[in-house]
Amino acid sequence: MTALVVAELSAREVGRRRVAILLVISLPLWFYLVRRDLTGQSTRMLMTGIAWAVSTLTLFVVNSARGVDPRLRISGASTAGIVGGRLIAMSGFGALLAGGYFALVAIDQDIDRAWAVALLMLITALIAVPFGSLVGALLPRELEGALALFSVCAVQMLADPAGTVAKFLPFWSGREIGTYAIDGAATDLLWRGLAHGVLVWTLCTGLTLAIFARRLRLERYPEPDPEPQGIH
Amino acid sequence: MNDWPHRFETELVRLGLQPERAHRLSVETAAQAGEHAADPDHFFGPAHLYARHLVAELRVSTFEEKRAEAGRVMLRLAGVTKRYRRRTVLAGVDLTVRGGEVAAIVGANGCGKSTLLRICAGLTAPTSGTVQRIRRVGFVPQDGGTAGWLTADEHFTLFGAAAGIAPRKARSTGAHLASLLAWRPTAAQPVQELSGGTRQKLNLVLGELHGPDLLLLDEPYQGFDQGSYLDFWRQVHVWRDAGRAVVVVTHLLHELQHVDHVLDLGGAA
Repeated sequence: MTALVVAELSAREVGRRRVAILLVISLPLWFYLVRRDLTGQSTRMLMTGIAWAVSTLTLFVVNSARGVDPRLRISGASTAGIVGGRLIAMSGFGALLAGGYFALVAIDQDIDRAWAVALLMLITALIAVPFGSLVGALLPRELEGALALFSVCAVQMLADPAGTVAKFLPFWSGREIGTYAIDGAATDLLWRGLAHGVLVWTLCTGLTLAIFARRLRLERYPEPDPEPQGIH
Repeated sequence: MNDWPHRFETELVRLGLQPERAHRLSVETAAQAGEHAADPDHFFGPAHLYARHLVAELRVSTFEEKRAEAGRVMLRLAGVTKRYRRRTVLAGVDLTVRGGEVAAIVGANGCGKSTLLRICAGLTAPTSGTVQRIRRVGFVPQDGGTAGWLTADEHFTLFGAAAGIAPRKARSTGAHLASLLAWRPTAAQPVQELSGGTRQKLNLVLGELHGPDLLLLDEPYQGFDQGSYLDFWRQVHVWRDAGRAVVVVTHLLHELQHVDHVLDLGGAA
């Protein structure tokens, strides 16, 4: 129950930051428009834009809750409920963003494997959520976190997808699925991309939960020795 | 079928009454409504709010008669020390607070008052020493602790969910507790648009929403006007008289006459 309430209220909270939401929604569009004339390039740029937008928003959501979370723990909430709720909310937002941009690409570009493009965007958005929260957990100050995300996304954009470095980047799965979806490559790229995506998602989610479990840990004190009470 | 008596009884037990007594009170209360041929919901209002009211009344009357008798120990610190690397923030702190008592923690800026309160809340581990504490505790930080884009009602829902309280019940309890501080939350107004004093009232309500037996308050009156400040201390005394234990960090020495224990942590660490 706690996770669902946290998810609902996180979504409302984010929804009220209208200017921020507008900027986050429009960010991938600029990435897309820069290379709109080339289907492959524009889609891959769009993927990076979605990754950056969703992970940055998640980072800010996680960081802005730092004052509330310990109090929720004292009131009785579990760490999994608190963190899980935020991840659910941001995953919902990411899925909506991915869905919207898939519609744009489907209308604006000539793609044979449209379903794979949809998968590429969805998986990118879903990985961006725990990745953003992990960076938020490791770098609690927003500026540092945002700069770290910027660095990762920049390297992701510039690294050779076939090189070793690219495979250690969180959104390499998108590059692989993208090659399958747009360039008509073999199915093994799709499976490789999916496996990488699942691994990164699991790692980021697990590490996020582990860090927050430690940060939001409450000391367990024994009850004072029972003594007669005058009111019962 | 009206389950008001059952909800009422459940809430009484949750607030700490023995089950037999809660059952007896529930039967008597339902019978009282029956005598007036009224639905208890209409006659007494929501079950959980009436339960709180009744428990407070019961405890006040008992304590007025037996004020000299202290309640059970709610918090006991023995030789608590806190060090950050080589800097000792707290050294050998002892404190025992019983139900129906108010303890004040005083001292210069940086002497470790907030650290001690965080240790009591379980947010920070002591380096050495022992802490014994009852389980249900409410913590009100000096500032922050709220989400700027959520409304007061949404905070009640959120903190209620954390404590396993249904949303509607959490909201009505929150509104009731706010009214005790002379504050009526405005729907649809985000917390960041509230004044500093009103945000602190929200902080207080959130700390008390789940009916804790021990309240840990870190200078919670920051930004209060004179009236709110008086309301706050009146509320502290209501909590005390209701058998709860209150630990409050303060630097206002003229309030110390109203507390049972004073823990002076001295100068800055």
